[in-house]
Amino acid sequence: MLNVLDSAVPVECWSCSVAHNESTLFCPHCSKIQPPPGGNYYSVFNLQPALNIDLAALETAFHRLSRKLHPDRFARATASEKEWSLADTALLNDAYRTLRDPLRRTEYLLKLHGAEIGEEHSGKDRRPHEMGASRAPADLLEEVFELNMQLEEMRAARSSGEDDPALARNLSEAKAKFEGLQAEVDHDLREQWTAWDNGGDAEKQAAQKAMVALLDRRRYLSNLVREVNETMGA
Amino acid sequence: MAYSDKVVDHYNNPRNVGTLDKSAQEVGTGLVGAPECGDVMRLQIRVNPETQVIEEAKFKTFGCGSAIASSSLATEWIKGRTVEDALAIKNTDIVKELSLPPVKIHCSVLAEDAIRAAIGDWKKKNGVAETADTAVAAQ
Ligand code: FES
Ligand SMILES: [Zn+2]
Repeated sequence: MLNVLDSAVPVECWSCSVAHNESTLFCPHCSKIQPPPGGNYYSVFNLQPALNIDLAALETAFHRLSRKLHPDRFARATASEKEWSLADTALLNDAYRTLRDPLRRTEYLLKLHGAEIGEEHSGKDRRPHEMGASRAPADLLEEVFELNMQLEEMRAARSSGEDDPALARNLSEAKAKFEGLQAEVDHDLREQWTAWDNGGDAEKQAAQKAMVALLDRRRYLSNLVREVNETMGA
Repeated sequence: MAYSDKVVDHYNNPRNVGTLDKSAQEVGTGLVGAPECGDVMRLQIRVNPETQVIEEAKFKTFGCGSAIASSSLATEWIKGRTVEDALAIKNTDIVKELSLPPVKIHCSVLAEDAIRAAIGDWKKKNGVAETADTAVAAQ
């Protein structure tokens, strides 16, 4: 689990021995490649950990680092350097994919700050009713369940060669509605991002709680929209 | 991830899939979801009003193999038990029986949640005093 946030412990460069920030892929002093650093995904790109980030800067940094890590550049490097270039590439790709995606970025940063999210908030000892805090409202569950039933009906009808136009219409209407709900959640999340980025401890705490609940809700919606798309072949 | 034989068996031959009449007095319905993954499960029971024995149990799960197996197993286990007995079933019992790996524990939690919610709904309908356990699940 990554939890090193601000503690940029200086590490000595293996080549020139100058100490550098632990999360650089290349030594700022002699430019030699470094083994995969500790720290977090943000520091790979030299970004401040925040939910609102400069996506253009992220992309530029990603492309620049990808080029620098290109295998051709290590054709004549030592075996360790070759190995590091592969490991650094893997780290760079993970970091980029996580930070680029608004939902994954949110989950990632909240986890760094100790939030229990997704799989992690269902530990062995947790009694089911303790999960109540993040349980979706009953009406959302009803709708999700109902729509899943309709999807199943639709698939059954399809496989026996029939098509039910009324059902199909119903489903695409439902899909539009759920996509609307997704957009709402995303909008609410963005509001919380700003509260989290700019707030003090109390605001952060409140925003974090709100975001965990929003992400939970978002999972039901994404699941459903994906199912509808798969069934309707969209 | 490899599923255990028991999970595969329940997944391929789920027991007690189906629907009971939600509006019937003797039927309790629990509809629950796992926020970890967005999966949903409905479990229903038909309870004998005299003996409080669960005579029929049905489920419908839109979720992963472990959730389907957990709910299938849950319906098997609660059938023939009294509601109070059924409340004694813990998700850890399901984890053990199905040899679920840690990342699939929440799927068994979903099944326990569903049992509690169904019993809670039945109790509410029939004016049976809530126990602390079901009061929370049925909210
Ligand atoms: S993965 Fe969600 S219930 Fe199993
Ligand atoms: Zn150096």
